Amino acid sequence: MGIHFREVSHEYASYQVGDYQAINKITLSIEDENEFICLVGHTGSGKSTLAQHMNALIFPTEGEVEINGKIITKKRDKKTNYNLLRKHVGLVFQFPEYQLFEETVEKDIMFGPLNFKISFEEAKAKAVEAIHLVGLNESYLKRNPFNLSGGEKKRVSIAGILAMDPDILVLDEPTSGLDPFGKRQLMELFKNIQKETKKTIVIITHDMDLVYEFANRVIVLNDGDLVYDGNEEDLFKKEELTKWALGLPETIKVLRRLKDQFHLDINPYQKTVDQAYEELKKVMTK
Amino acid sequence: MSKVQVEGLNFSYNQKRMILKNINLKILKGEWVAVLGHNGSGKSTLAKAIVGLLEPQEGRVYIDDLLLTDDSAYDIRKKIGIVFQNPDNQFVGVTVKDDIAFGMENLCFSREEMLQAIDFFSSKVGVESFLEKEPATLSGGQKQRVAIAGILAMKTQIIIFDEATSMLDPYAREDLMKYIKKLHEEGLTIIMITHDIEEALLADRLIVLKEGEIFLDGSREQVLSEPDKIKEANLELPISLRLANLLDEQSNKEWRDSLWEYTLEK
Repeated sequence: MGIHFREVSHEYASYQVGDYQAINKITLSIEDENEFICLVGHTGSGKSTLAQHMNALIFPTEGEVEINGKIITKKRDKKTNYNLLRKHVGLVFQFPEYQLFEETVEKDIMFGPLNFKISFEEAKAKAVEAIHLVGLNESYLKRNPFNLSGGEKKRVSIAGILAMDPDILVLDEPTSGLDPFGKRQLMELFKNIQKETKKTIVIITHDMDLVYEFANRVIVLNDGDLVYDGNEEDLFKKEELTKWALGLPETIKVLRRLKDQFHLDINPYQKTVDQAYEELKKVMTK
Repeated sequence: MSKVQVEGLNFSYNQKRMILKNINLKILKGEWVAVLGHNGSGKSTLAKAIVGLLEPQEGRVYIDDLLLTDDSAYDIRKKIGIVFQNPDNQFVGVTVKDDIAFGMENLCFSREEMLQAIDFFSSKVGVESFLEKEPATLSGGQKQRVAIAGILAMKTQIIIFDEATSMLDPYAREDLMKYIKKLHEEGLTIIMITHDIEEALLADRLIVLKEGEIFLDGSREQVLSEPDKIKEANLELPISLRLANLLDEQSNKEWRDSLWEYTLEK
């Protein structure tokens, strides 16, 4: 059933800067299986606002969002249990490691599932499952979350959402604050989670290298408008990239430089350093 | 004359695991040094030990030839300031103005001096139009600049940036880096703690920490020419250099040179 946006706008009322439209007549669909989507756009383009509509944390001021068959509009419907939608779509905020609060990792992970009225035993089992999914072992469950490293805390907080077993996982800049290895590991982890569980994963990010390497689909927002919804290959060939304030992945930049400087007949659209090297090999003088 | 000197520094939080091991370091006046290391390498601990927020079990820190002790900490704070990673964790003032004044108040500046300094330094970092605003209403990049204004107002000569850009988006980050460059040009001594090698390339000198020890220390070119060691320190070379390193030194020399040039010109 997934998530369907139909002409969704959201306007924030603000005394300081006046009302402003954060997103503007957005129409798009997200399947609840097998998608790996990156949501990109410069600061203030409406990415986080769009993400918060995905599990009914905020309501559209115009248009409608359909989540798992339920229609969400401007008007709050007293009969709808919005909490149940949040089980369907899990949202991980930016810097989730600052939201850990329990005394053990296990309790922290169990907090979400217990809110959905499942038994204590079941929630415990979910926590075990989730800790494995994020690449940590069971010994972490008894530890104090505040004594973990930044990367581990991040994983634990993601496990807390995974334990609710959402079909769609939305993460707001999950890799920020991590070192390059940490970033890559976390992205690999999402890829694995997606492969194993078939969940759809939506990631908000600024990192074009990661977008190019990992996404199957990219959604670009610019000043609240949806300006691109398609695959990662075509995106970086678009002339409008600068207008949208998006950079190019480093591999493309570097290969374009060599291509222009040495008049090489190569295709600069390569995702990894190894692929870039293979492409250069074709034109090397033996 | 060295601005910062560290001798035989050892530090541990719990006596079990040493976080910093025998750190010896000299940073000269006007230098821009990047301290690189993976998560958990001890780089933030080093920053805190240098400014006196943490007390080392062994070793000495001199700032401007003044030995850091409990008694001198007050004077040392006038010489060295620190901008933290999380811009939200360093605000004490109700308004931007209060916040910039906080350091000066503690150093007993006169009211006149404070007002003048607030005017001067807020416009210097470009936050003069939000002086009456609550810090919480600012963007991440603006918050970091407020923090810098507060430090500069104390007439500080050395600033440590402890992963000060890692919670900012790429645009705010670029902005802040440009600003740090300006401070450096004006003669301030800059120590930048980071795990981002691309960011570190803006500095004159790179120090790589690995498991609490100084693993590499040299110019950009020297450090970047040690790909195996960089890898050993759990860091990643920029994509351009990783590609250059795959190419043959003789037959692909021109391409390699071009990639090096690209890396260093940023």
